[in-house]
Amino acid sequence: MIASGTDLLPRMRKRQIAPSVLLDISSFTEDLRYIRQTDGVVRLGALTTVTDLLESPVFHANLSIIREAAELFGAPQVRNVATVGGNVCSAASSEDLIPVFMALDASVKLISAKGERALPLKDFIVGKRETALGPSEILSEVSFAAPGGHSWTAYEKLGRRNMLIISIVNEALSLTLEDDLRTIGSARFALNRVSGRIPALAVRTNEFLGGRKLSEETIGQAQKVLASELSLTSDFRGSGSYRTEIAQAFLKRLLQRCSRMLGGAS
Amino acid sequence: MTKRVITLNVNGTEHPVQVDAPDRLIDVLRDQLGTKSVKEGCSTGDCGICAVLVDGRLVNSCLMLAAQCDGRRVLTLEGLLNDPSMKRLQGTFMANNAAQCGFCTPAMLMASWDLARHSSDPSPEEIKVAISGILCRCTGYYQIIDSVREGCRGGER
Repeated sequence: MIASGTDLLPRMRKRQIAPSVLLDISSFTEDLRYIRQTDGVVRLGALTTVTDLLESPVFHANLSIIREAAELFGAPQVRNVATVGGNVCSAASSEDLIPVFMALDASVKLISAKGERALPLKDFIVGKRETALGPSEILSEVSFAAPGGHSWTAYEKLGRRNMLIISIVNEALSLTLEDDLRTIGSARFALNRVSGRIPALAVRTNEFLGGRKLSEETIGQAQKVLASELSLTSDFRGSGSYRTEIAQAFLKRLLQRCSRMLGGAS
Repeated sequence: MTKRVITLNVNGTEHPVQVDAPDRLIDVLRDQLGTKSVKEGCSTGDCGICAVLVDGRLVNSCLMLAAQCDGRRVLTLEGLLNDPSMKRLQGTFMANNAAQCGFCTPAMLMASWDLARHSSDPSPEEIKVAISGILCRCTGYYQIIDSVREGCRGGER
């Protein structure tokens, strides 16, 4: 199955995969390319491009995370074609949008001739480049509830340079504070790699953060929890221990940014 | 995989071309249609040297199958040789020594021309974003950024 092919073509060329049949869905834009927001739920058609995300008026305030990630995604030529659905279905640590959608607790809609089903994104990604997509299904939509009041989202990405680069580490955070604007109600923090090369939520870190005061002390402790739950591998882009240090630094940066934003608003 | 015939509109002319499913747009542009301004660098979408416009959007032609462009409009540097905006950009690139080996220049010009369509006075930051997908390994980027700025300012389109 090919959407734009920005991920598939290099892999075919390196002979990492050799499909006997290619099913091209890139022309189904009438049905699968849309950004809709109704009743607090944002729905993105699978063929929505990253440029579409950048040009949409939907992603400001609580949803600025989408804009941040889109701005750092590839380069204009890649953003112009790379799709939301393709990014999610490629299910690799290099797919920048997956941690973002996970932090937003997104669901995916899978359709086939027999009907449709919805799955939480965290259950859709089952391994490195493995998804729960059935052989006769296509992913048609990614959707998530727009974060409510006292909520804040943010994204950090590290590559070897700023543009046109595959992430060494990228992290997304969606945080909701209690009414006192000091206590963390819930945290959804996701990374491009938690174990091996699979993007996922940092479950233990999120559990640790829930109910605690958003303070320097909490941030320091959360960094330790994060390090204990990561088991990162090394590759030519960076070593496992380097990735862990950056992941911790980004967690601190995200929480401090949140603290400043929400503190300033109170 | 079996060959099929598709129609590519390249620089305003319709070309029926026979393609295999894995043939990329760059393969057809260079090998069948002879538009050699389209260069192949990395083949993985990292260098941007193969950039062309498809239906008015800048894309890497190494990351797109030719079959996906059936019936679509492709624009390469060859199609813009008499275009006033492109001529201006070529002039400012030459005046500023913005090309050394020249391998990235066609893609730089395509990205710059695309920017000039939308902005007659882009900021250095906008220019950097516009050319961020294209690597130059010779001149450094400042001459290129200056050239794009002057070329875009050269008049309205």
